[in-house]
Amino acid sequence: MAVILLLLLVVMVMLDIRFGSVRITFSDMLVHLTARDPLSDQQLIILQKFRLPRVATALLAGAALPVCGLQMQTLFRNPLAGPYVLGISSGASFGAALVVLGAGAAGLIATWSIALAAWAGAGLVMLLLLYVSFRIRNVMTILILGIMFSSGLAAVISIMQYFSQASALKSFIIWSMGSLGNVTGNQLRIMALAVLPLLLFSLLYIKVLNGLMLGEEYAVSMGISIRRTRVVILAVTSILAGTITAFCGPIGFIGIAVPHITRFLIRKSDHRILLPLTMVTGMVILVMSDLISQLPGSDRVLPINAVTSIIGIPVVVWLVVLNRKTTAL
Amino acid sequence: MLLSLENLSIGYAGTPPIVTGINLQVKPGEMIALIGRNGSGKSTLIRSVAGIIPTLSGNCCLEGTRVRSIEMRTRARMISFVASQVSQLPPITVRELVSLGRIPYTGWRGRLGKGDREMVERAIRAVRMEGLIDRTLDHLSDGERQRAMIARAFVQDTPLMVLDEPTAFLDLPNRYELVQLLTEFRQAGKAILYSTHDLETAMTSSDRLWVIHQGSMEEGVPEDLGIKGVYDRLFASTGISFDVEQRKFRPAGITRGTIHLTGENAVLLAWTRNALERLGYQRSETTDTILEVNDSGTEPAWILTRKDGSARFKNIETLARFLIQEN
Repeated sequence: MAVILLLLLVVMVMLDIRFGSVRITFSDMLVHLTARDPLSDQQLIILQKFRLPRVATALLAGAALPVCGLQMQTLFRNPLAGPYVLGISSGASFGAALVVLGAGAAGLIATWSIALAAWAGAGLVMLLLLYVSFRIRNVMTILILGIMFSSGLAAVISIMQYFSQASALKSFIIWSMGSLGNVTGNQLRIMALAVLPLLLFSLLYIKVLNGLMLGEEYAVSMGISIRRTRVVILAVTSILAGTITAFCGPIGFIGIAVPHITRFLIRKSDHRILLPLTMVTGMVILVMSDLISQLPGSDRVLPINAVTSIIGIPVVVWLVVLNRKTTAL
Repeated sequence: MLLSLENLSIGYAGTPPIVTGINLQVKPGEMIALIGRNGSGKSTLIRSVAGIIPTLSGNCCLEGTRVRSIEMRTRARMISFVASQVSQLPPITVRELVSLGRIPYTGWRGRLGKGDREMVERAIRAVRMEGLIDRTLDHLSDGERQRAMIARAFVQDTPLMVLDEPTAFLDLPNRYELVQLLTEFRQAGKAILYSTHDLETAMTSSDRLWVIHQGSMEEGVPEDLGIKGVYDRLFASTGISFDVEQRKFRPAGITRGTIHLTGENAVLLAWTRNALERLGYQRSETTDTILEVNDSGTEPAWILTRKDGSARFKNIETLARFLIQEN
């Protein structure tokens, strides 16, 4: 299964680079590499400045969000948990809304300032969550408080939307639909710098996640420090999900669904295999969604959020109906 | 001393302590059953000993060191824990579940070495689940699942195992089998502390009993506790008394009368005794009312004789109806 997924990933990445509104074929690229008949400057810019960063963004987000989802599902022992369940995306949206809806009127919204504000918003929610998790023992209370933060921020955002101008509102709504295409060179570097080490770090916790499957009492009795684990997992998922959301907007669905899809594919809940393969499956699905969102053969682009849901929901419905036991964590 | 509790109080911060002044010890290789009514603090004590929850005051020491101050991984190599059930089970196989018991010994990846794998196999054989090794937990019966959980604790390779009502959700044969497993572990040198409501099994299989009653603790070998009347006091307020002969608790209930029971066939006599008990009759050899269980014909018969005459019944149902109507 791992081999199939990796092959699928390579194919998807290649197709995603190949297709777009401007035609650049594989043979053009190959010939360019042999330096006999280089691509035109325009084609090169499209590849280097747009397509490659977009694919790289899809890979990072596709690996990070499902890992967050898996960690949340195991930590809360709740199959419905995902990277955004504790309000990280609401925090990011709040930051973005402040910039887009507040300063948007002045007409100077740089992607940078949105990303920074969204990052700050997500960070604020993370600090709040960490504070709560230090003070409160019961993990379900943390979950409920997280959902409350999330709903509260959503309410504030809707008030801001209600009083904002039409043009600002539209840019905010477009931001909230998610996009993999707005991340450029430097931002991509920053995103990779934040995401890659944390993805590697999350591998260090696979044994602990396995121990958590039986619940906190058993985990403690097997020598796992619940408080430390909780803080580490909350911090890791907040930074991962917050960073991705800051640069790409909230990308729904794959964070919750991909862990379930992966569990179904490998028919195992052992995090030693599940966690790395969840990254791979997430990358495959997000790159594939990106490919579909480009609508090969046309010059229109669909919002990535719509695509992940439209292709993902039938898959999950099918999995759940077909095999209730495996998907139920 | 493996485990020693010194002047220990247990409970939850902010509420009055549940049990105070506990002074008890567990030696290596001892099997101890913890008895007490619902809400008496059995689970709290088990969890305090396992280091899952903090104690209120006093000391709970494992090999001389306070349980809560032992580094967690080290502690997990000294005490293992089993709860009465897992509320939400992951769909992992028996082998994967039992392997989790090696967590305190493995590196960050949780990779099992050859010795670890042998230990897992041995534990699965010990709980007699070789045939179910690749089944997922959701496809096991309650008894099998609990045996798998116990194998997981066994693999943790600790000198002390604590179990919180491990038999609570099991039927009678599974309950016996589970306690049998625990006695086998004890013979292998482990100390075992388990809470239970099943006094009968506890009395026949454990070395000592710890009885929690109204916030304090009594302990001793089962017989001494009985002679001291501890079991009677346990349920004194509820009208339930302890029958020493049968080592069973029974409700006091109403008494309808006394009957002298005679007969030859042991099986028929036993069942008739049960019926009389159920109906509230006490047996006595001095009363005029005699119930004879007659086994001489092809069909058994019950003959009830009094001063004023006798009646014959062909089964216990008609006898019971007669006795009830008479009152």
